Amino acid sequence: MDDLQFRRHLYTEPNSQDPDFLAAKQADKSRAQFAQEIEELDSKIADALKVPVPDDLCNKLILRQAMASHQQQKRKSRIHLALAASVAFAVGLTVNMLQFSSAYSDLGDYAMAHVYYEQDSFSNDMSADITLASLNSKMTAFDGNFTEQLGTLIAADFCRFDGVKSLHLVFQGESEPVNVFIVPERSEVAFTAAFSDKKLNGKSFKHGKNQVIIVGDKSEPLNQWKKNLSQNIQWSA
Amino acid sequence: MFKKNRNNLTDAKVSSSMSTKQVRYEALVKALHTDLFRYAYWLTHDKQVAEDLVQETFLRAWRALDSLKDEKAAKSWLITILRRENARRFERKRFDMGEYEEASITDHLSTSTEQEIENHWLRERIAKMPEEYREPLVLQVIGGFSGEDIANMLGLNKNTVMTRLFRARNQLKDALDKEPLKRGNYSG
Repeated sequence: MDDLQFRRHLYTEPNSQDPDFLAAKQADKSRAQFAQEIEELDSKIADALKVPVPDDLCNKLILRQAMASHQQQKRKSRIHLALAASVAFAVGLTVNMLQFSSAYSDLGDYAMAHVYYEQDSFSNDMSADITLASLNSKMTAFDGNFTEQLGTLIAADFCRFDGVKSLHLVFQGESEPVNVFIVPERSEVAFTAAFSDKKLNGKSFKHGKNQVIIVGDKSEPLNQWKKNLSQNIQWSA
Repeated sequence: MFKKNRNNLTDAKVSSSMSTKQVRYEALVKALHTDLFRYAYWLTHDKQVAEDLVQETFLRAWRALDSLKDEKAAKSWLITILRRENARRFERKRFDMGEYEEASITDHLSTSTEQEIENHWLRERIAKMPEEYREPLVLQVIGGFSGEDIANMLGLNKNTVMTRLFRARNQLKDALDKEPLKRGNYSG
């Protein structure tokens, strides 16, 4: 290590533990003295660089972080709450829509599905014990009444017709029971004047404020039923 | 109800990892805030700005503490954050901090010993030194970093860093050799 290299190393890294450098330092008295001078300079530089640090800086740093992370946690829990609320809201909305939306867009389809669902409960030869008075007491819910007994009434009950309270009447028909629904008028399902499938025929018509839907066997004279019903039902309002 | 279960489970975990994080953070602050403040001071020449910078740095460090895997690398990690924060400060608003002002050195000369006078004199020399020489010197002397570490931190070639360290000491040595008499003026 020549003088220039030595000086360079000394100025660059005075505290270097490089063996070559240490050996070079000890080999020559003037070099050792020079090295000592620079080491002294370096400790002076170190002292000069050590500017006083504010006493409370350490505590301030810890305090500031504590405040910041507290804020963050508060913000986080608010976000969680908001998220939970949104999810609950969305679930509520979905349930509501599923429950109250019509699975059937067509009145006829629904009426037939309803009849098929309940067809085992009724048979054409069931005894008919519904009086005109008890039928009319049910009809008051729709502000209407039957003027006289129409055919043989097997059953008369309120039921949910696609989510809407309605009156379901089952009359004795030619071979199979005839189902008559009295449903308050609604806008969300399509009104079909006549509908049918392989087994059933149906007719619906607007009568007063309500819709009357008749579903019966293929052999059933639905037009006759329609005429009789429209003549027989009177609306009070 | 399952929500309650879930909370019970994770709350304990979260709070324990939070408290470990807290302990790590406080240890980091205690061990390194002095060096970091001094580095910031020599970067900005302003105690207040340096303090703000250190606060900002530690706040960022807290947020990213999980990414610090190697505790030995903590100091250079913090210095890198601080340098970035300092650069951001200049982006935000253009401080006219470029020139060093003598007034910002606030030592009380009247009550100083000779040692402190020399210290003060040297401090001024260092402050007036070009930034590119001062920064490696501060990192070496205060930070205790090797030439290679400094080169990595500053994004420089190692030889460049070595040259700058050499020139920094050379300048100070020259100044010290030339001006021992003038230094007396500071006591008067």
